[in-house]
Amino acid sequence: MKLPPLDYALPRSLDEAIALLSESEGQAKLLAGGQSLMPTLAFRLATPALLIDLAAIPGLDRIEITAAGVRLGARVRWVDIEQSEPLRTAHPLLVAAMAHVAHYQIRNRGTVGGSLAHADPAAEWPGLCVTCDAIIEVIGPAGSRLIEAGAFFSGPLSTHLAEAEIITSITLPAWPRGRRWGFQEFSRRRGDFALAGIALHYDTDAAGRVLDPHIGVIGACHSPHRLRAAEQAISGQVLDDVLIEACAQAGSAEVDPPTDLHGSARYRRALVHAMLSRALQQA
Amino acid sequence: MDAKVIKEEQIGRSVPRMEGAAKVTGRAEYIHNIRLPGVLHGKMFRSRIAHGRIVSIDTSAARAVAGVHSVVTGEDIQRLIAEPYYGPAFHDQPVLALHKVRYVGEPVAVVLATDPHVAEYAAGLITAQYEELPAVFNEVEAATSPIHVHDELKPAITFPDLKHLKGKRGTNIALDYKLRRGDVEAQFASAAHVFEHEFHTQHIMHTPFEPFVALAEPMDDSITIHTSTQMPAYVRLEIARLLGWPENKVKVRTAWLGGGFGAKVYVKIEPMVVALALLARRPVKMSLTMEEQFYVIGKHATTFRIKSAVTADGRISARKCEVFWNGGAYADIGPRVSQKSGFTSTGPYRIEHAQIDSAEIYTNLPPAGAFRGFGIPQLVWAYESHTDIIARALNIDPLEFRRRNILREGDEHPTGTAMRDAEFEEVLVRISARMGWDQPFDRGTGTKRRGRGIAIGVKASIAPTTSFALVNVSADGSAVLFCNTIDMGQGSNTSMAQLVAQVLGTSSERVRVTQADTDVTPFDMGTLGSRSMFHMGHAVRLAAEHAREQLEALCAETGIEYQDEHSIAQAFRKKFGMQAGNIFGVGHYTSRYQPADHDTGMSKEITPFWMIGGTGIELEVDTETGHVTILRMVNVVDAGRAVNPRVVDTQISGAALMQMGATLSEEMVFNEGELTNPSLAFYKIPGMRDMPVAIENEALEAETRSGPFGAKGVGESGTFGVSPAIANAIDDAIGVRLYSLPLTPEAIYRGICAARGEPLVD
Ligand SMILES: Cc1cc2nc3c(=O)[nH]c(=O)nc-3n(C[C@H](O)[C@H](O)[C@H](O)COP(=O)(O)OP(=O)(O)OC[C@H]3O[C@@H](n4cnc5c(N)ncnc54)[C@H](O)[C@@H]3O)c2cc1C
Repeated sequence: MKLPPLDYALPRSLDEAIALLSESEGQAKLLAGGQSLMPTLAFRLATPALLIDLAAIPGLDRIEITAAGVRLGARVRWVDIEQSEPLRTAHPLLVAAMAHVAHYQIRNRGTVGGSLAHADPAAEWPGLCVTCDAIIEVIGPAGSRLIEAGAFFSGPLSTHLAEAEIITSITLPAWPRGRRWGFQEFSRRRGDFALAGIALHYDTDAAGRVLDPHIGVIGACHSPHRLRAAEQAISGQVLDDVLIEACAQAGSAEVDPPTDLHGSARYRRALVHAMLSRALQQA
Repeated sequence: MDAKVIKEEQIGRSVPRMEGAAKVTGRAEYIHNIRLPGVLHGKMFRSRIAHGRIVSIDTSAARAVAGVHSVVTGEDIQRLIAEPYYGPAFHDQPVLALHKVRYVGEPVAVVLATDPHVAEYAAGLITAQYEELPAVFNEVEAATSPIHVHDELKPAITFPDLKHLKGKRGTNIALDYKLRRGDVEAQFASAAHVFEHEFHTQHIMHTPFEPFVALAEPMDDSITIHTSTQMPAYVRLEIARLLGWPENKVKVRTAWLGGGFGAKVYVKIEPMVVALALLARRPVKMSLTMEEQFYVIGKHATTFRIKSAVTADGRISARKCEVFWNGGAYADIGPRVSQKSGFTSTGPYRIEHAQIDSAEIYTNLPPAGAFRGFGIPQLVWAYESHTDIIARALNIDPLEFRRRNILREGDEHPTGTAMRDAEFEEVLVRISARMGWDQPFDRGTGTKRRGRGIAIGVKASIAPTTSFALVNVSADGSAVLFCNTIDMGQGSNTSMAQLVAQVLGTSSERVRVTQADTDVTPFDMGTLGSRSMFHMGHAVRLAAEHAREQLEALCAETGIEYQDEHSIAQAFRKKFGMQAGNIFGVGHYTSRYQPADHDTGMSKEITPFWMIGGTGIELEVDTETGHVTILRMVNVVDAGRAVNPRVVDTQISGAALMQMGATLSEEMVFNEGELTNPSLAFYKIPGMRDMPVAIENEALEAETRSGPFGAKGVGESGTFGVSPAIANAIDDAIGVRLYSLPLTPEAIYRGICAARGEPLVD
């Protein structure tokens, strides 16, 4: 199908965008890369009266790397991350995960802000944000506020974003030297959404013990979340095969995967086990 | 022009595809792009139930939408065509549902509007009330179910072996092919070993990139149908029959087809656009969406029970095959699939005692019909998995076991037809040589296990069929070939041009092939079942020879030595005093065939030629996810002499990769008759990045003595061995045997868990 009839606006500033959004009383949709929104419109699963394109708002496409961490404007695209030289050292986990996001054509347009707002439980980026303690900056008629990624999602394809709010940036805490990380996912075909995936990082002390492990799951969940029991299983310990297996078991026990056309819950649970153990081996 | 080029042998030359440049620059014509003034667009309203009587259809809301021209139901169609039922085997399919609906997705009404989006919107406002009837979906259940999809069977006159089904009531069996040779039961009672298995295949879709599209244009006293079809002559015949018109008042033309794969054979949406155009008295166009294709035609799901008796020295002495073909709600060409393929169910083996029961069965699912391989991939899947299981159980190398039993030149196939020009053993030899079958093989370690497998299959050609061709040589020596073989991407135009050039002694580049237009291109049965190179190839050869005879006479008359197109041009000029005139060469060919005996299923001449294809697979299984990586795929076929080696090569890999999708991921998933995944996001076709790590194709150095220049068909042979070769390699890698397609990672993983005694409990 073609898109439903709608108006299009190209605001030049955030203020203008917020004003348009508030005036529309829920009848408008923000447009970023369009890779999720446009199919939704074409299938007429959504019929907004107005599209507000974020393309002309200055500054939203910037990647800033400071001592405090990595700050990505909402309009930063997957290819920008994938091809960023500085990010390879500033946040290697992010860069590695990009290879799993869709296909090149989609990575060329899809954005970090759009992906968070879309909140697909099988998408890589929301899982990375939850795993890495990202802070999401949003702005609305009442000004801006910061939301922890872990408190941003409310379920499959839903978030705690208020009606007239716009995501402006995402900040990931600084990546210490020597941090260990792993990213593993399984999908039916290359480029498909993940049936199950694991993002993780941890630091080590002088004795090689695991410090502050962060383990997040995508795909085998209703929205991405940390695997606390799995983190607990390795925290303060020196990793070995036995511990990796114990951690993978804890992780696969604590997920609550859905059953759908792509795979059963039982199978996804098994995949969490495999991906978690591989991500730990990778790290 | 360089005389050397002209004199070059045209057969065996990889002439570049003639339409290549037009296609890659976006200039090739497709039916979808035709714009006609005053055209109306049709969009369908479809049944949401699997089986029921139509009580009422409420079209009032749709009619009230601004821009809607009219809404048409089955009863409206009946005002135009009293018996609006079509189909090549049975006249069972109504143009729009009449009285009853028989599957979810069946067309019930059509909205016509000047804007397709208005039509689509309005179609969404139609509602219907049904009296629901119990439905039957599984082919084995349906064979004996008290639920009947059709009250009475209505065979078309086309096929003599369906005559006995006329007027039959109380059955879902639309064809029951039987083969009886020797005494299988006696063998089972006395054999050293008996093996019995049941295999399943799933419903899948052809997925041509260009969905069904047709445009009907009513004229004063005739109608023109622009359609994406593999069978223009048949479309003309069937439309003329429905309307009660002479054939010459129906003109059917095609443009390039964006793929067909068997989906676009016989008639599909053509009766509907014709009826709508005649009712509306305006041109009507229907372009289906990708999603709608799922409800038009697919590939038979099957259940195949196979039982073999094997002697102590590893020879198959008897084989019994019971094949149930899930034909869906309308027979389409399904009964041909279950018969023409059914008689090869025992495989490419020398088996003295054989019994086959192959039944086409109606169910309340979307129709199934021809699909690249015409039923053969489903059969090979079962018999070559079975063959491998036997070899492993008897501790005989799977290659050796096959060679011990394979049909050789002169051997009698179980149907009684002797094998001629059928290089089975050579196909096995070449696959194993390429794979280094006798060399040690790296079996992998840890969670990555490697295995390899082979499989080989055989297909008969559709017979008897007829092709006509016409070659028109112009006064400059260039030629146009008029033939109804449809180039839907397989490169047939290029190969046919080569045949003409070979005979005339010109270059292939000087021959053009027209698009089909039944007003000018002569009859051909259709482009299906890999029949064209053999049948149309002969007709084209004969037409070109006829032209050459006349050209030689013209040269003799004008005293010019016949050499090449320059001499032809000279002869024309001399005869007519200027560059003027034409020479027409005509040719036709009908294959030899003897129908199978109704009681024994046997025939001395059951096919004009045999197609043979085999595949070798090396793969790696991830034992923690069930994911399969195909490391190497070796496809070897006997295609006789390759007219255009490059075209042959792409046919082999195209067929094999298509079958790989059918093996590993594609599946139409039904829930109580309702398709749950009618979208390419959920129906998983492999993408570029899911291809095998390495793929090799080989067309044997072979000669089909009965074929034109030694050639035969090759469009499907690459599909045959793929599924069982993959399953056999999986078994080799991890000791897990799977009996149902598709071999998804989850199915494989579940098999691994079950094999280690820890089945996944949901
Ligand atoms: C075939 C295909 C495969 C894909 N596979 C994957 C995959 O494997 N992994 C994956 O992660 N993704 C995948 N995607 C999704 C892709 O990455 C999308 O681009 C992404 O999810 C959405 O980003 P976008 O910029 O395109 O957003 P849009 O489509 O433009 O918008 C999505 C939603 O976010 C809202 N929105 C956009 N920007 C903002 C903002 N700044 N503030 C508030 N709301 C906003 C929009 O209003 C809309 O509701 C796939 C997409 C396709 C088509």
